[in-house]
Amino acid sequence: MTTSSNGRRTLLRGAGLAAIAASTPALMRQAMAAEPIKIGIPCALTGSLAVVAEQTKRTATMWAKQVNAAGGINGRPIELIIEDTGGNPATCVRKVQQMVERDGCRIFTGITFSSETLAVMPRLGEWDSIYVACGNGDASMTAEAFVPNFFRGNPSGPTEARLLSLYIKDSGLKKFYAIGMDYSWGHSTVAAFEEEMKRNNIEFVGKVFAPTGTRDFSSYITKIRQSGADGLMMVQSGDDANAFMTQAAQYRLGDKVKMFTTLIELSTIKAVGEASKGVIGTMRYMSTYEYPENKKFVEQFTREIKDTPDWNDGEQWKALQFIGAAIKKANSIKSADLVAALNDMELDTVKGPAKFRACDHQSLEEGFVVQVDKVNGALLPVLVKKYPWDQITPACRKKNFDA
Amino acid sequence: METFSFILIQTLNALSQASLLFFLGSGLALIFGIMRVVNFSHGALYMLGAYIGFTTARLTGSVWLAMLIAPLIVGLIGLLFEIGFLRHLYKRDEDAFLLVTFGLTLVIAEVTRLVWGAPPLQVPLPSGLDGVVFIFDEPMPLYRIFLIAAGGIASSIIWLFLERTRLGLLIRATSQNSQMVHALGTDINLIRSGVFALGCALAAVGGVLAAPSVTASLGMSSAVIDAFVIVIIGGMGSFLGAIFGSLIVACVQTFGNFFFPDFALVFLYALMLGVLIVRPGGLLGKEA
Repeated sequence: MTTSSNGRRTLLRGAGLAAIAASTPALMRQAMAAEPIKIGIPCALTGSLAVVAEQTKRTATMWAKQVNAAGGINGRPIELIIEDTGGNPATCVRKVQQMVERDGCRIFTGITFSSETLAVMPRLGEWDSIYVACGNGDASMTAEAFVPNFFRGNPSGPTEARLLSLYIKDSGLKKFYAIGMDYSWGHSTVAAFEEEMKRNNIEFVGKVFAPTGTRDFSSYITKIRQSGADGLMMVQSGDDANAFMTQAAQYRLGDKVKMFTTLIELSTIKAVGEASKGVIGTMRYMSTYEYPENKKFVEQFTREIKDTPDWNDGEQWKALQFIGAAIKKANSIKSADLVAALNDMELDTVKGPAKFRACDHQSLEEGFVVQVDKVNGALLPVLVKKYPWDQITPACRKKNFDA
Repeated sequence: METFSFILIQTLNALSQASLLFFLGSGLALIFGIMRVVNFSHGALYMLGAYIGFTTARLTGSVWLAMLIAPLIVGLIGLLFEIGFLRHLYKRDEDAFLLVTFGLTLVIAEVTRLVWGAPPLQVPLPSGLDGVVFIFDEPMPLYRIFLIAAGGIASSIIWLFLERTRLGLLIRATSQNSQMVHALGTDINLIRSGVFALGCALAAVGGVLAAPSVTASLGMSSAVIDAFVIVIIGGMGSFLGAIFGSLIVACVQTFGNFFFPDFALVFLYALMLGVLIVRPGGLLGKEA
């Protein structure tokens, strides 16, 4: 009886596997048979930027599924290893080390906080690994903290500060105040913005940095109201941006100062609603950007994830486009081969043509200034102006733009 | 801004923040004081209150109703958790409570992510409270004034309940000698269940009240750190201590962020450290 039962189970299992095999395309079966290419994604799935990390997770999963369905890269399937770092640099280093030692992973992307990436970067060489950033804006990564195995696929904080300051230059505003998140991205972006304001003869009346995870911004808002500024630059993201913008609207801050941000996020617009209306800022990626590669991506994303891609969805997709192209070109996953392949690589991406500059591994691409406005009854970022990369990107290995 | 109006505005800001912190910290203090349970899941329950508040407001169109429904549901969850898990652990050492409430934190976080998704959600201001009043030409949101009143009224009612009613007396007696209360014929399991549910409901009130100012988000659960700071400063298990702790933490945060923004966090933790050294049981704690 037992033997018969076991036999039946084995038979059923075999039949099930055969059914799966028969329904799997031949290319995919071939890819599954080969050794997988592992891509590590240590991201902050918990904490104040959880929404950003979730974007990384969903987009990377969609990318891997698409690549695997098409037979993998050079016949090898993609295997993602996604783990939560909680946004803690020490945890992030530990997770990456685990992925290197336990899983044999050598390719990384999607780290959420700049502070985490800065902690990982010095170890990349020792781990014989590469990291392609999609959302790390700290200026030093392509300057004094640069390491050869690091690539930045997104614009840096100073690039965004420069981009916005070009727009602000002609705004007629005379005095600016800045509020930033109290970690490397916030500090380096505010510093670059301060420099730009001085260059444009606009008075920079003060700055303040709020710890990540701040929930009550009332005293910061009082400080901004007292400063006499007529313009405010916000360098905030995730929960912090949502809380600040919500409370700024409750305190009618917009009646006193014109509000700008270096990072407009769809998630923030949805979360704070009317409080975001009229805010002007840069947007790293726009789902409404008219470009064939983007159109394909948005259609696929909307179909599979049933949402509109936010900035980090687009940036993560672009970083993975580069990683995939580099593996294909190098026909290898060794870090030295991938670095050589990525140097000066040009690609048609969801943000238009982009290129990794060999001298500092910064992606060169257009910059967008957008304003949150009502379009057919819904609040959306509307493109106000575009700037070419050479007007906004700091020179090689420089933190800030030097006019 | 004149000095007087500045002090007044900042004091109102601090009091409104203290009110939210009170709801967060008092629940933790009650649970620890009566049950000796360090409830690690308090921040997650606070977050859950905000999410349930969002759904209630979305379904009924009333944030006022959300402020009633969310604490009831979270309180019920707390009650079931106490009966199903904590009740079997009272004879074990305190590590068991830490582990099981940490487990609850993880479960709540994942369930919230699955049900509501990762993006933050907007909870509107209650109807009638979306305006501002001008104090010396400076706008103060009506909602902040409401928070101050809500905190003041709730803390007074709970204090009167604990100090002036027979049930309150039994609860206080249970915190001092649960075996004696049991020997005198009181069902201490019932008291423990009720206190745990009340503590969880208070966290949910805090969450649903905070949501219109911060949005409902997964990151809200990190508020548990503030709750522990309040309880450590105010006094382990002391309800009055939780009120004082909330006021102190809110004042240090509000005035510190204004005058010394780079050091406000340092001040807070230095204060906590100082209290731990001078009065290890907290300012109004019984173990000092």
